Amino acid sequence: MSYSNAIHHRAGTIFPFIAAILALGLARIIDPYLAYVATSWVIFGLLGLSLDVVWGRGGFLSLAQTAFYGLGGYFGSVVAINLSAVTGHSLLWSLPAGALFGALIAGALGWIIFYARMGALQSTILSYTFTLLLWSVSQSFKLDAGSAVIGGDNGMSNIPGYIPGFGAGAEALEPAGALMFVVLVAALAYFATQRLMTGTFGKIIDSIRLDIEKTELLGYDVRRYQVLNFAWSGLLAGLAGALFGGWSNYLNPSIFSVQEALLVPIYVLVGGLGTLAGPFVGATLIGGLSFWLGGGAVGGQTTLILGVVLIGLVLFLKKGVLGGLGDLWRSRLPDPNEAARGAGAVSIDPDELADILSEAEAQAGPAKSLRAETLFKRFGGVIPVNEVSLAFIPGQPFSLIGPNGAGKSSFLKTCVGVYRPEGGRVLIGDRDVTRAPIFQRVRAGMGVKNQKPQVFGELSVRENLWVAAYSRVRHRQRANGIAARVLSMLGLEAQAEVRASVLSHGQQQWLDIGMVLCLAPRVVLLDEPAAGMTKEETRELSTLVRILARFTTVIVVEHDMEFVRTLEGQVTVLHQGRLFAQGDIDTLREDERVLDIYLGRREHV
Amino acid sequence: MDIDYLATVILSSLSSASILLIATIGLAVVFGLMGVINLAHGEFLMIGAYSALTATQMGVPFVLAIPIAVAVTMAIGALVEVLIIKRLYGRIFDTMLATWGISIVFYQLAVMIFGTVTPGIGMPQSNIQIGDYSLAGYPLLMIGVAALMGLFVYFLMTRTVYGMKARASIQQPEMAQAIGIESTRVNTLTFSIGCGLAGFAGAVLLPIVPATPSMGFSFVIKAFLTVVVAGPVTLTGSVLTAIGLGGGASITASFLTSVAGDIFFFLITAALLWLYPLGISAKWRRKL
Amino acid sequence: MKTLPFLRYGIAAIALMAAHATQAETRIGAIFDVTGPLNIYGIEQQRALELAVDNINENGGLLGEPVKVVSYDAQSELSKYTQFTHTAILRDKVDALFAGLTSSSREAIRPIIRKADIPYFYASLYEGGACDKQTFVTGTSASQQLSVLIEWAVKEYGKRIYIMAPDYNFGTISAHWVHEYARSLGAQVVGQDFLALTVTDFTPTIQKIQASKPDFVVALPVGSNQTGFLEQFSAAGLKDSIGIVSSNYGSGNQQVVVSPRAGDGIISNQGYYMAVDNPTNRDFIELWKQRHPIKAPLTSGAVAVWNAVNLWAKAVEKAGSADSDAVIEALESGLTFEAPNGTVKLEPGSHHLRQNIYIARGNDKHDFTILETFPSVAPFYENEKCDLIADPDLVEHFSPEAD
Repeated sequence: MSYSNAIHHRAGTIFPFIAAILALGLARIIDPYLAYVATSWVIFGLLGLSLDVVWGRGGFLSLAQTAFYGLGGYFGSVVAINLSAVTGHSLLWSLPAGALFGALIAGALGWIIFYARMGALQSTILSYTFTLLLWSVSQSFKLDAGSAVIGGDNGMSNIPGYIPGFGAGAEALEPAGALMFVVLVAALAYFATQRLMTGTFGKIIDSIRLDIEKTELLGYDVRRYQVLNFAWSGLLAGLAGALFGGWSNYLNPSIFSVQEALLVPIYVLVGGLGTLAGPFVGATLIGGLSFWLGGGAVGGQTTLILGVVLIGLVLFLKKGVLGGLGDLWRSRLPDPNEAARGAGAVSIDPDELADILSEAEAQAGPAKSLRAETLFKRFGGVIPVNEVSLAFIPGQPFSLIGPNGAGKSSFLKTCVGVYRPEGGRVLIGDRDVTRAPIFQRVRAGMGVKNQKPQVFGELSVRENLWVAAYSRVRHRQRANGIAARVLSMLGLEAQAEVRASVLSHGQQQWLDIGMVLCLAPRVVLLDEPAAGMTKEETRELSTLVRILARFTTVIVVEHDMEFVRTLEGQVTVLHQGRLFAQGDIDTLREDERVLDIYLGRREHV
Repeated sequence: MDIDYLATVILSSLSSASILLIATIGLAVVFGLMGVINLAHGEFLMIGAYSALTATQMGVPFVLAIPIAVAVTMAIGALVEVLIIKRLYGRIFDTMLATWGISIVFYQLAVMIFGTVTPGIGMPQSNIQIGDYSLAGYPLLMIGVAALMGLFVYFLMTRTVYGMKARASIQQPEMAQAIGIESTRVNTLTFSIGCGLAGFAGAVLLPIVPATPSMGFSFVIKAFLTVVVAGPVTLTGSVLTAIGLGGGASITASFLTSVAGDIFFFLITAALLWLYPLGISAKWRRKL
Repeated sequence: MKTLPFLRYGIAAIALMAAHATQAETRIGAIFDVTGPLNIYGIEQQRALELAVDNINENGGLLGEPVKVVSYDAQSELSKYTQFTHTAILRDKVDALFAGLTSSSREAIRPIIRKADIPYFYASLYEGGACDKQTFVTGTSASQQLSVLIEWAVKEYGKRIYIMAPDYNFGTISAHWVHEYARSLGAQVVGQDFLALTVTDFTPTIQKIQASKPDFVVALPVGSNQTGFLEQFSAAGLKDSIGIVSSNYGSGNQQVVVSPRAGDGIISNQGYYMAVDNPTNRDFIELWKQRHPIKAPLTSGAVAVWNAVNLWAKAVEKAGSADSDAVIEALESGLTFEAPNGTVKLEPGSHHLRQNIYIARGNDKHDFTILETFPSVAPFYENEKCDLIADPDLVEHFSPEAD
């Protein structure tokens, strides 16, 4: 790896570290008033970071960050006012109290948003409503909490500054010291977040952003991760709020205002969405701009300039300052996706596959059956699954066929857990999973491959497999081992570091199948796996399905009759939501009734 | 409770809901037919109000000032669409942020051009008497205006070539493309119509709400919430939501305090989103 | 490409700071909302301050030196007040600060000022109760205005009162005073409504007013909401039967926005109207006209700033220096000043201004006719609660609701 490549790889650590050291050094040199103002930029950067965690990484544009920020500020300050009078040392009280309160509120709001499975826009708007509600309520909210007085619109005064010493006589930090302190806190928060986001948790959060459905199909409890991530962002915002309270010595409902709420996405966008360090750059640039313009340089038209800057950024610099610089840098590095160009068709290694499968069987137990008992699902007047009872048992591949609208994929989705049936049961092995969420079915041994290839485009091929393997074994090293074996079975070793999005359509299908195999599923559901595949690929697929069926239960939903024939298994025909016929393919081909429904002939249509 | 009081409460709540609906319809059209949330909607309302105000100050009768406001906002809307929105199709949150930038710019420009104090035009001094209570006539007139606006949009969408094209481009984009509908031109027109409706709202509400640079702000939050709660079937959904939320908030305000009315609005919004995570019309069969 | 201008600004700013390191002349800071939604008030405040300082400098300056003004634009954003107050103190080392319009801006400034220990002047009408050694208020307080207004209105209209007020401190505290004065006058508050700041549709309120059949309404919404209410109230045809009085109508030229019909007959009370007839006011208006064309009537806020600067200047002359302790002592010596709104006296104990309160009626020409002048009205509540001579360490924001 070249020098430049190595630095690029660690840019998220090296440059923020240098910046923090520089800021600490500069804090002593610059004028106190500049130090004072710059302190607020760092605090806003931290607030921006909290949004970047949920938006840039988690994929949810939350407009409630200022709500957590304000609540954390108010709560932390109330605690600090009351306790630091006794003990000195305001920080020991305000920062943890603010951070925890922010996390708590964010967790609660996140629980509502994510467990209700709200749409993206609705989530954003609900978070916005939350902030607005706080804004209206706080205007007239009055409370005497010990020595702290929350005076509605008049706000809360007498918030202690940063007092690092104990005892009654402890003094607050002067501007230079305050800046250094805030830089230190922000740096700690940044590095903790960066660690979290480059680690396992971050990888799963990335997966959720890229394809939430697939992540759940890998057996992750995605909503829990989303709530946790949101709570972490609330923690950062609450921390920033507590710092802000100590900085301004005063808080007021305007902290919940619309203007404040919408400034945060700007910090993030200017700096670079998803970069984590970007919000600090953004806040410093915007803060600096606003400060020097506000000083009277350009007739005080700061707001106008900010508006124009925002439009320009969205239109021309989508990735912000850091994102843009990163792209520029990357374009001068060797292209890791180069390997994708030379790749030929995937050719699986049957021995390796059998090895992997028998090892999976040793670890995860024998194959499990999948049974549907009088399963019933309706949408208004349409009944796509009408009292279907089917049992899929280990030993041979099952195929599910039927003309368009027969209810094949509705049946599959009901088994997977995408649809909740109105009647009947679904069992994996002996376990009744009718009401279980998708991820629990996956943990019970179900593996699902949908028709479209579902891979995490921004992650490398190896990472895709790793995320799948980790879901099962919950152990980094062992997940590495499994990913490596599946990689070699697929013959994709040369493309291991390539981004999944640059793979060909066929390769993505194989990668997706590989991810399902990483789960060591005991029941495998494949929805039209041969769609869009070449003749050779279909042949490989057929081999794979037949080997797979020796170790697990396999159910294939398919259109391609030729492919179904090569599987040499049991075939089930669905028609108008009902079980129509069962048998091997050659028998069914002779069956006049089956031909009738396929050809649309009168009698059975 | 006196019967005349109850009657006035119901009438005036209907008028409050109508005012909300008038302010919302343009937003609903743009969102429903383009999937774009226009955060500058409130500023288009403001531009409409100032256009009508300037026209009346130059001697144009108020009734004729309204079409002028519509023309001005439609033109500005088309310009904004071509210069900015067009480049951001399919990026809903980027569009939101860009239109927010536009709203800031328009707001500041209004402050620079008109200042913060401009004379209003006053409300027609007509009123109706119900028992002991007297109600201003103009806000009641808004019930009719809202109904006409709704009908206008309905006929525009179902009975005109443009409407068919617009609905086709959002419901079946590929098919629309295949039969030769130029979706970009349709979109420009849609956005422009949405802004024109906002301008109409600003102008027609001018006697009730004086023109100030920040006037859009007070409408726009509730308008957004209405559209988002309404969900994919924007027109019918928005009408229902506006009547439910706007009317409900107004009734709450009549019996409790006005602040309670606002809090009612926000809480019901949150509850509806909790119950209908994709909007109340997510599972409806109708399309408009 | 983006960072370069910033660097340049940065270097320029640092150079500027170095240049400021030494100073001899007296220097005052001014933070007002020159841009943003509040600039309706902020621009006039800023102009009044510049006018007052220029007037002092043209007449020989203070202690033989010209006064220098450092101005900051708070852009109607609260956080800018915190920031610029620090800038004024840390960088520009001002001797006194004149700043703020909203109560929250004042509250953001006060803790910083107390630490820096320089005199701070707040020149706006407000809910009252601010009390500490460094803060001086030249605007009127709610109790000061309403004591006069309610008495007058009960006499004029009758004893049934309806209150509509914005749902924040100014509104709720003003409502408290209306209740208090109503009680002492034997009048009755028959209903009240608190409004969110974004309300534009007043139909529910107007119904409730009709249901409670008051003789007059105390209407205190802020800014354009006030004019919206008056339009709707007037259109409902209620103006002839129910009076409307307000202690904040006219403070931001609402009478210009409102239509002549809706504005005609509204009762306002303020510490100053442009129509006040005395020689000082005539000179003041003349002086203003030389600098800026008067498009909208001058407001009480502008005069409060003018008074603040002049009172401070008198105190500096009296103290013989701009040193904080000496100036504050001089300010507490019972200073009086011949102001455009009549003679004003700075109360030593409460740091509030004893001044004339005027009651005026809106006419159909976007203007006011003064009906009555109440000379030298004391800031009752502040005088009662806040005695900084007896207790110089008092740091409070008194609120009658908490009593």
